[in-house]
Amino acid sequence: MARVAGALQQSLSLEHNDSDFSSDTSDTSFDSDDTKNPRQKKAKAVSKSFQKIKPQSGFVPDAVSKIFNGTDFSYLKLRPDHVSRPIWIYEAVDKIIIILESFSPLAEQAQDFLITIAEPVSRPSHVHEYRITLHSLYAAVSVGLETEDIIVVLNRFSKVPIADSIINFIRAATKSIGKVKLVLKHNRYFVESPQADILRMLLQDPIIGKLKIDSKDSIKNGDSEQSQNASTTTNGQNNNPSSSNDPNERLLNSVVGETKDAGNGIEDEQDDDNDDDFDKVHSFEIAVESVEDVKRRCLDIDYPVLEEYDFRNDSINANLDIGLKASTKVRPYQEKSLSKMFGNGRARSGIIVLPCGAGKTLVGITAACTIKKSVVVLCTSSVSAVQWRDQFLQWCTIHPDNVSVFTSDSKEIFKGDAGLVVSTYSMVANTRNRSHQSQKVMDFLTSREWGFIILDEVHVVPAEMFRRVITTIKAHAKLGLTATLVREDNKIGDLNFLIGPKLYEANWMDLAQKGHIAKVQCAEVWCPMTSEFYQEYLRQNARKKMLLYVMNPTKFQACQFLIHYHEKRGDKIIVFSDNVYALREYALKLEKHFICGDTPQHERLDILKNFQLNENVNTIFLSKVGDTSIDLPEATCLIQISSHYGSRRQEAQRLGRILRAKRRNDEGFNAFFYSLVSKDTQEMYYSTKRQAFLVDQGYAFKVITHLNGMESLPNLAYSSAKERRELLQDILLKNEELANLEEGDDADDVIGRSANAAKKRRNKAKRTAGSLASHAGGEDMAYVEHGRNRNKELREHSSLMQKLYYKK
Amino acid sequence: MSSYLFKDTVNEYLENLPYSMKSKLFKSPATCLAIYRLLPNLAKFYIMSMVFHEKPVNSRIWDVWVKDSDQGKKLEVEGLRRMKSLNLITEKNNYLVLDEHFRESFRNALVGNDSHHAFGVPCATDENNKTSIDFLDEFATKKWESILHFMVGTELDELPSVGVLSLLKHSGLMEINGDITKRNLTSVNITKEGFSFLLQDVNAQIWTLLLEYLKIAETLNMDSVDVLNFIFMLGSLELGKDYSLEALSETQIKMLEDLRDYGLVYQRKASSKRFYPTRLATTLTSDSTTLRSVSSAMNKAIRSAKQDNEKDVKEEEAQVDFVSGTIIVETNFKLYCYATSPLQIAILNLFVHLKSRFSNLVTGQITRESIQRALKSGIASDQIIAYLEVNAHPQMKKLAQAALNKKIEFESVNGMKASHLSLRNLEIVPSNIVDQIKLWQLELDRIQAFGGYLFKDFKGEVEYKGLLNYAEEIGVLLYKDNANRKFFVTDEGRQQLIDYASRRTKRQKKS
Repeated sequence: MARVAGALQQSLSLEHNDSDFSSDTSDTSFDSDDTKNPRQKKAKAVSKSFQKIKPQSGFVPDAVSKIFNGTDFSYLKLRPDHVSRPIWIYEAVDKIIIILESFSPLAEQAQDFLITIAEPVSRPSHVHEYRITLHSLYAAVSVGLETEDIIVVLNRFSKVPIADSIINFIRAATKSIGKVKLVLKHNRYFVESPQADILRMLLQDPIIGKLKIDSKDSIKNGDSEQSQNASTTTNGQNNNPSSSNDPNERLLNSVVGETKDAGNGIEDEQDDDNDDDFDKVHSFEIAVESVEDVKRRCLDIDYPVLEEYDFRNDSINANLDIGLKASTKVRPYQEKSLSKMFGNGRARSGIIVLPCGAGKTLVGITAACTIKKSVVVLCTSSVSAVQWRDQFLQWCTIHPDNVSVFTSDSKEIFKGDAGLVVSTYSMVANTRNRSHQSQKVMDFLTSREWGFIILDEVHVVPAEMFRRVITTIKAHAKLGLTATLVREDNKIGDLNFLIGPKLYEANWMDLAQKGHIAKVQCAEVWCPMTSEFYQEYLRQNARKKMLLYVMNPTKFQACQFLIHYHEKRGDKIIVFSDNVYALREYALKLEKHFICGDTPQHERLDILKNFQLNENVNTIFLSKVGDTSIDLPEATCLIQISSHYGSRRQEAQRLGRILRAKRRNDEGFNAFFYSLVSKDTQEMYYSTKRQAFLVDQGYAFKVITHLNGMESLPNLAYSSAKERRELLQDILLKNEELANLEEGDDADDVIGRSANAAKKRRNKAKRTAGSLASHAGGEDMAYVEHGRNRNKELREHSSLMQKLYYKK
Repeated sequence: MSSYLFKDTVNEYLENLPYSMKSKLFKSPATCLAIYRLLPNLAKFYIMSMVFHEKPVNSRIWDVWVKDSDQGKKLEVEGLRRMKSLNLITEKNNYLVLDEHFRESFRNALVGNDSHHAFGVPCATDENNKTSIDFLDEFATKKWESILHFMVGTELDELPSVGVLSLLKHSGLMEINGDITKRNLTSVNITKEGFSFLLQDVNAQIWTLLLEYLKIAETLNMDSVDVLNFIFMLGSLELGKDYSLEALSETQIKMLEDLRDYGLVYQRKASSKRFYPTRLATTLTSDSTTLRSVSSAMNKAIRSAKQDNEKDVKEEEAQVDFVSGTIIVETNFKLYCYATSPLQIAILNLFVHLKSRFSNLVTGQITRESIQRALKSGIASDQIIAYLEVNAHPQMKKLAQAALNKKIEFESVNGMKASHLSLRNLEIVPSNIVDQIKLWQLELDRIQAFGGYLFKDFKGEVEYKGLLNYAEEIGVLLYKDNANRKFFVTDEGRQQLIDYASRRTKRQKKS
């Protein structure tokens, strides 16, 4: 059981190399032989750490202690060598915060470790903040870290001794994690546990007990036998090092074989452990429909289930002949993210978060190449489905015959035993009557067992749809991919148990520094409302207000000026507007092309093609339909004139449109992101909210209050008072319905307009159901509030939380 | 209060004294020594070469001592100007003469011919339990920091003394409302001057307060010469020794009480016949250190004193690092400060929403509210930005420098004009933070106030319209509300409007 995950291994060995660091310290936890035998030392180090902690009674408040109101930790004595340690850790009201010096020599190791056990809160240039939560610890344990490892390493990095309460929290939170596993065998789900008493406890649980199904074969014996077989095969494989010089195999080793490389010394021990464990595996079967209930209940009673897939020993599902092409290069961070997924040679289900343009697709493909079983890829639109298929064919060796696309336009079934299916969420989740052919494909999808499912852009899909997708397609391992794991509603939390924990989240600034994504200058341009507009603004109702601030003539002028300026610099510009009326007005007045929900498919393609290739088309206007999955590496400048209230996700997604700019590696190249807001209106408030996510990633929004030279721009629109008055009259006469933002769901994309009109209608109905306030201003608030409620919820029914919070 | 650089203010003060006062001051050797110590190096050299040379000196011989460069010339001119304005030397036909009184006293100071007890009278007998230097340091720090803490609004167990309170109020460093003598204060607010005061090093702070003290002393009919002499004398006393009150004038004995409140001197009891100068006093005229805060200043001084005994050099280096820059401001408005002194934390608390604290770090967030609170209490946005810049952590500076270098390199590669390059300057604090703080200030300045008069309760529409039209015609109308028949005119317009109105009523009566 001495499994130590990659991050920990790395940090340990690096410290070992750093002889200066470990030699001049008196602290035993730095002893270099720690590396050789972590288990023996561990206990010692931990007991030592306990002695070091001064009781809170040592706290002598001074003149300024009152300011901090309970968060004054100055009584924690700094360690003598605190200068070389990178983190502080403290517990505030109901959260554990870690502060990291990113300029410390050990910062990189610490970051690797922290990203595994904690959620990144903010990662600007100098000091990062992380937060340890139940979910993050769950993720840490599920990638193979053990409680004591977490504590020891934290202690090692920390400048101050770690408070007992934090250690207790980690202990309690991780105590029960990893004890229950959900395994898919022969198309049936089993709940497994190495400890019989836990399983008994689960069976006695009022909810889970009922969901048990009696299966015909004697599970216990059969299973242990099978496991025995499995473990012997493991040994066989391990003893038989891959001699092939196939680049894919090597990559696979670098990704999967982490434990193999790192843990050769402990191999024997591990094998023993494995045998022991497998001997004792106990399990019972549950029905497919009840999987989610069981998972949720298990989470509630602090025994979150781990989903692992031992794909190498899966002899039942046919192998898929798939491997990366020799020319394919996997970037270091992509490899790192995958190493979290395959840390112990098995595939874990989870979510990988990478910024737009950082190569999420390749991560998915590499994962598929590692598992080498049948794969389903679900994406948001038929166009991205086609893109996925092309990418697969481009990067790896899969035979085109084995690839099929299942969308409204094409309903194929691959040939052979194993293959790849690319489809859209809406196709799979559809509950209405299907055509004969699509029903045939659906039956095919549901009837068999899949090795792996890739869920693209997981953040946009409504939880309901997810449930249906996950329950209809039975896959051993699930990988969610997204750029922004934030939603203005509570649905992000759902992902945690629908898919799995967050396995990896990349650091945007770091990737930008290394040239993997473009550097972006962000600016918020304040456009003062003209006095006539502001007078009306104060008088009108909420919807008209929106129309007024979007159509603010100064904003129009700023937009015109920026387009003019950047076109002259040779930039390719995308202008985003959620409001279709404004989009049309702006585009027509400026004589530019635009795409919105009503634009026919062929016209869209035409415009996009022109934008990419035609020197005379340097600016296009896009409505919300262009937020995601539109791939335009030519674009280098982005102007946003109207947006979806306070949506942080939309802001990040839009920024993503220019992150993959082709020219990103030119010396001194910067992409530009402008957000135009009308001063003194609601927009300012939303704008701050929207930026929150990016700001925490380290992006700085520069406020521009005055655009130099705007007044002297030739043909400046609305430069006379008469024109402005006419515009105002025009707007006041318009129906306030025009203020509505386009209803296109993110799941639809530009070109995709998936044939599924019914789905669209349903979404529409769903959207208007919410009150405008909750829809709009409250969104972020609602999210925050809900987060708190969730905590309460957890507290109420979770014995762990009860233990932690009610004792105090 | 234009400049707070203490040397300038002390010197300025001395320079502006009438000659009669100066010549009185020159009679005290300690004062002469202190004045000498405050001079620029070149001037010190001139004085030294003249003090034992009775004859007038040809001013041209000084030129030989100065390098023939612009900078050298500047130093020479400045040195001579200072000496002349302090009346230390007089010039006649290119010949310079040192002031007689100064020469005599300064000689006495140098050769130790101390007939005036100018350097204090050490007590002949040892006190029973002698006061240690450590104790004195602690006493001084406590006293001085409590004043500063009071200024930044830390909740204190005990308010500073009446003397301190009134000094702070009169100097304009604080706005204090309420009964000072009963120490019953209703509201306390730091002013813009007070904030810049806080940002100075401790020596400058003491001088600022002492000069303010001098101003008050004059109004209380205390002899300024006596006061000054005493202050200068303190600067030349020895730390850790006790001095007798014998040689002090009545004014000076009275001063002791106030100086005790500032932590400059220590007396065991108010009636005690002896006093101890603290480190704050003995470093008054030394110019070697520019120290940021009291505790760090004290620490540094103590450390240098104890350096031989202590081997803890490593920690000291770390400490020195901290003194040179402690604040990290991130683009997401989070602030991290390697602060150990409660005072620095209290200063940060003026404009940062502080969140948590460790023994070597505080974290906080710069918010609109926290900045506006500071701005409303009179601190300027520029001051906040300057504070962040001056105290920026070396990492911030490093990053800013790297960014600048990259920019310059990029621009020179792309053939931008040199003049363009020189305009670039270091952005230590992220520019979005700087902009935002300034914008927050602008937000507060959006309302423009006009003085004027409101006219209302007209007899009828006719009267209202008539007067309104007239006001509009002569261009004094600022605001009108037709529905409620009210309008507002400027100060200047009021009389004209009243005249017009009375003429109107007269005309109406006639008709």
